[in-house]
Amino acid sequence: MFSQNGLSLDQAPPVSVVFRFFFSGALFGVLSGIFIIFFQDTIFNSHSIEAIILTHTLTLGVMLSFMFAALFQMLPVIAGVTLTSPIRKANLVQYPFILGTVALLLAFGLSKPWLFGLASLLLGTSILFIVFAMLKNLLSLPNHSSSSKGILIALLSLGIVVLSALYLTATLSGVIDGTYYTKIKVAHYSFGLFGWIALLIISISFQVIEMFYVTPPYPTLVSRYLPLTIFMLLLFSTVATSFNDSIWFISDILIALLLSGYALLTLKRLTEKKRPLTDATVWFWRIGLNSLLLSMLSMLISLFTDMAIVKTLSYIFFASFALSIVFAMFYKIVPFLTWFHLSSQGYFTAPMMHEVIHPKTAKKHLYIHLATIIAFILSIFIPKFIILAGLLTILSFGWMTYQIIHAHLIYKKIQKSGEKFDMNPTNI
Amino acid sequence: MIISRYMKQEHRDCDSGFAEAEQAAANADWSKAEESFLKFSNDILRHFKKEEEELFPAFETQTGSTDGPTKVMRFEHDQVRGLIGKLAHSLEAEDKDSYLSLCESMMILLQQHNMKEEQMLYAMCDRVLSPEIKESTLENMKKVEL
Repeated sequence: MFSQNGLSLDQAPPVSVVFRFFFSGALFGVLSGIFIIFFQDTIFNSHSIEAIILTHTLTLGVMLSFMFAALFQMLPVIAGVTLTSPIRKANLVQYPFILGTVALLLAFGLSKPWLFGLASLLLGTSILFIVFAMLKNLLSLPNHSSSSKGILIALLSLGIVVLSALYLTATLSGVIDGTYYTKIKVAHYSFGLFGWIALLIISISFQVIEMFYVTPPYPTLVSRYLPLTIFMLLLFSTVATSFNDSIWFISDILIALLLSGYALLTLKRLTEKKRPLTDATVWFWRIGLNSLLLSMLSMLISLFTDMAIVKTLSYIFFASFALSIVFAMFYKIVPFLTWFHLSSQGYFTAPMMHEVIHPKTAKKHLYIHLATIIAFILSIFIPKFIILAGLLTILSFGWMTYQIIHAHLIYKKIQKSGEKFDMNPTNI
Repeated sequence: MIISRYMKQEHRDCDSGFAEAEQAAANADWSKAEESFLKFSNDILRHFKKEEEELFPAFETQTGSTDGPTKVMRFEHDQVRGLIGKLAHSLEAEDKDSYLSLCESMMILLQQHNMKEEQMLYAMCDRVLSPEIKESTLENMKKVEL
């Protein structure tokens, strides 16, 4: 009866499952830096192919990889969901996912219908497979928390993002005539940015902010209804847009206000934290939340003006929001998992979290990340700065890649040579 | 939900005590750190004792299983006890870097454990135990001393 409730000894998934997604995400991040250097300021024209390629490298290659890492790590703990055979599932998802992402980027660049077909097949099956597996587990939970409900809604949004993407790629490859192309495209990126990325971060934050930084809890009204409200707004707008074209104008205003309210509330919670240390992860959260605020403010202004700069700013700040939070999670998850697995396996010499990634190392990444955001903003006004922004993006993700390899090498080294005692729980 | 409410509050109180000790260590105020750490350790060990001697047996009797979630929770308690020992050692040596690093591990380990208990085990206890047993278990837990 209770075995399905996630209380297993597998408190955390195998390190390889989480590390591999962080690793592939970081490599796609390096690739996005290379694209920025090559594409330069064409990326600021949101209709250009270059902008579409960069956006998908970041949202699909980088963000989705990172979010898979976070979900594999956090679902067992945050929502009591234990995915059976996680390594097998991770393999089934990751290889087609990477190939599919590369195929999609090539398809955009070369406009080859068969590449769109291949990308649809690989990405559609791999992402929908894992979304379905996670949703199935979440739906069978007897007790839901705000986080588990929120993650469920975010995963539903991801499902809609993929299904709408399949419609778009089917149109681009000439399989269908794409009567609803424009409307589906709006649904695709709205569900992607707000329903998936923002809601997943929000849902995870309901647990993480209170518990890891020891803050007062979120008001029940917010934690219980915010994800559902945003999801319903997106769903309603997608359907209602068939009858009234201006519906997105109103829902964008509401979503901007809701997300700004969330950002302000979370920033306030962080000022009320009882834990003393303001390490890099707290600053990553603060940068991320302030970026969300600025992104929503720019989005609001862009609804009333035609200034392209404001729209560009809203994209830059949204990317900064999502990546900052991912970095905050990364610097908690990787050192913890390395320490946790080694000490659970009984190694006396298991390194402490600071020995895996020292807080000073995370702080250096924080400065690189800040410099990257500033370089991007400057490049709107002084185009030459885009090269610097590209180089800093490579440095930022290269830094992250190095940390993953470093942690993995420490893990392997201790497993090979560390002293160990029998930790079999059945003997305790 | 009387079990959930009571036990969750204990988790939050332990968190506050833990944060106080961490704050003092970060300020290199070692006597205050020791005092707060001692209070935290006593609180958390008493909380574990309440679970292991009162709540878990009541749950196990009701469900007829000692091999399920409570076994896992007991195992995790031992992991936390191990870390308390290491933290005490760093505190004694006034080794700030080591203490703060261990605090980070302890916080995540403890929070993962707490999340599981709060979202699953306590909710199950509130669901499967009869109101009378819940009342008596709660009363017994309140009387537990270290």
